[in-house]
Amino acid sequence: MSLTPGPVGRLIEELSRLPGIGPKTASRLTFYMLRAPEAQVIALADAIRGLRAGTVLCSTCFNIAEHDPCPVCADQERDRGLICVVEEPLDVLAIERTRRFRGVYHVLHGALSPVDGIGPDELKMRELVERVRSGGVREVLLATNPTMEGDATAMYLARQLAPTGIRVTRLAMGLPVGGDLEYADEVTLGEALEGRRDV
Amino acid sequence: MYLKHLSLTNFRNYARLERDFPERTVLVQGQNAQGKTNLLEAIYYLATTRSPIIASDRHLISWGVAAEPLPYARLVGDVERSSGAAHLEVTLVREPARPENPAGRLARHIRLNGVERRAIDLLGQLNVVLFLPQDSDLIAGAPALRRRYLDVTLCQVDPAYCRHLQRYNRVLEQRNHLLRRLRERHDDPAQLTYWDEQLARWGALISRRRQRAVSDLEAAATLIHGELTGGSERLALQYEASLALPQLEADPATPEPDQPPPALYEAALSAIARTRQRDLASGVTTVGPHRDELRFVANGVDLGLLGSRGQQRTAALALKLAEVRFMAGQTGDMPILLLDDVMSELDRARGQYLLAALAGARQVVITTTDIEVFPREFVRQTVRWQVREGTISEERS
Repeated sequence: MSLTPGPVGRLIEELSRLPGIGPKTASRLTFYMLRAPEAQVIALADAIRGLRAGTVLCSTCFNIAEHDPCPVCADQERDRGLICVVEEPLDVLAIERTRRFRGVYHVLHGALSPVDGIGPDELKMRELVERVRSGGVREVLLATNPTMEGDATAMYLARQLAPTGIRVTRLAMGLPVGGDLEYADEVTLGEALEGRRDV
Repeated sequence: MYLKHLSLTNFRNYARLERDFPERTVLVQGQNAQGKTNLLEAIYYLATTRSPIIASDRHLISWGVAAEPLPYARLVGDVERSSGAAHLEVTLVREPARPENPAGRLARHIRLNGVERRAIDLLGQLNVVLFLPQDSDLIAGAPALRRRYLDVTLCQVDPAYCRHLQRYNRVLEQRNHLLRRLRERHDDPAQLTYWDEQLARWGALISRRRQRAVSDLEAAATLIHGELTGGSERLALQYEASLALPQLEADPATPEPDQPPPALYEAALSAIARTRQRDLASGVTTVGPHRDELRFVANGVDLGLLGSRGQQRTAALALKLAEVRFMAGQTGDMPILLLDDVMSELDRARGQYLLAALAGARQVVITTTDIEVFPREFVRQTVRWQVREGTISEERS
């Protein structure tokens, strides 16, 4: 006979499926919720329930949003001629934090990785090509991660977009600001040397 | 270079070992299963971050502590090199079982001079050449053994090679998955282009580096082999690159160290293009350094296929002694020589040749069950240790 009551065990099991949470943390969270004020626990449950019901994918850029179109795509001030292609919705937030980008986005929801069974059909790739073809786009900025899979994705997209004749660019690679040359790895430093520019 | 101090905790049958090593030849004597080979394995592991004997590090942790809550093994070595001292530290910890991994994950922590580092940073800090009784399998065994031998040898002296190898293996895995995917379902074959280019890039770098190493090894091995056979046989080492790289010559310098020269890249890329249909049909990548072969040929005869056991042993010994010179040439430091009970495998003449060759080394560790196989003159110049059940004691003579 198990000492753990059914509902407790069920929550522990569900929580430990989350990334970064093991059985220990899951148990701690569960027992915390048992003791926490009921309103707080219900608020959490509502938030989780509302997460899926209250969000949609923007039908233009496929970012996660409350309404379709998303605030960026709805914003008339945004430059629709410049599309920044990213792997994940979190990447949109990262670029928005720079306040230096005034174009629009396209979220692929992943990168090409045959090992993980991810091909072009699993990503929002055809949608991007159609979006570019439908006109009004000057430049596509490929901002996938500087990993092998990110590079594979960027390269594949560049070839798909080549027939349109539209300018395709890739994020520069190099040194982090505030970093120290001697701690940079050879590959990054090599890329920074390649991408040097006049001052 | 030489190893000044070795400390082992829960490593194989060593519950605890603290040992200063002299800068000369150490003769380690003991009965079977007392810990002679484990001692060499520990030194080899610090040099290469892998065991020469087993694939899984799990078994390196002493089974005596297996029942403890967090079983761990620790290896620490102090190395004296011409470029200064280094403090090497590897800890293996078997973490508690989890539903997705009932055996428990094996975590490895590596520190270099007290700072947490990656395995790749440890390579090259300590250089060793290991002589094993089964070395002749290198000549006679499967091609994968020879490729592995080249990889381990090169990783010890060339960190860039090790990085290129990691990249290559990742590309190969992705490309093979993609080939299978393309075979099994309808998908866009244009996805292959990127992986083909990456395969050509890293593959050309690896095959070329191996070609160069083999050419260096051959120069020394042919000489040594000639001396071992009294000049009756001429040994040649042939590296066959499946990427059809152009002949070995001075490659033009490339602005970036991680880019092969254009001629090599183009050759590799067209070799991959030629086999694409075959690769698509079979679902695996059939060209690249992972399919390359290294042949040992004496007087026109492939020793791996047609050599006698004696010929294979001689070629293997020549290769290992050539490796010592190769490493010394590449790093400017004499590697540490580890000999695991090899005298029993060699006849008198070859045994004596080997012992004479050891005279040039700074530090040698030799294990043996029987001290009598060594000439008295040789034994007198060594430090003698006795191993019994995972403890070492010094012998006075």
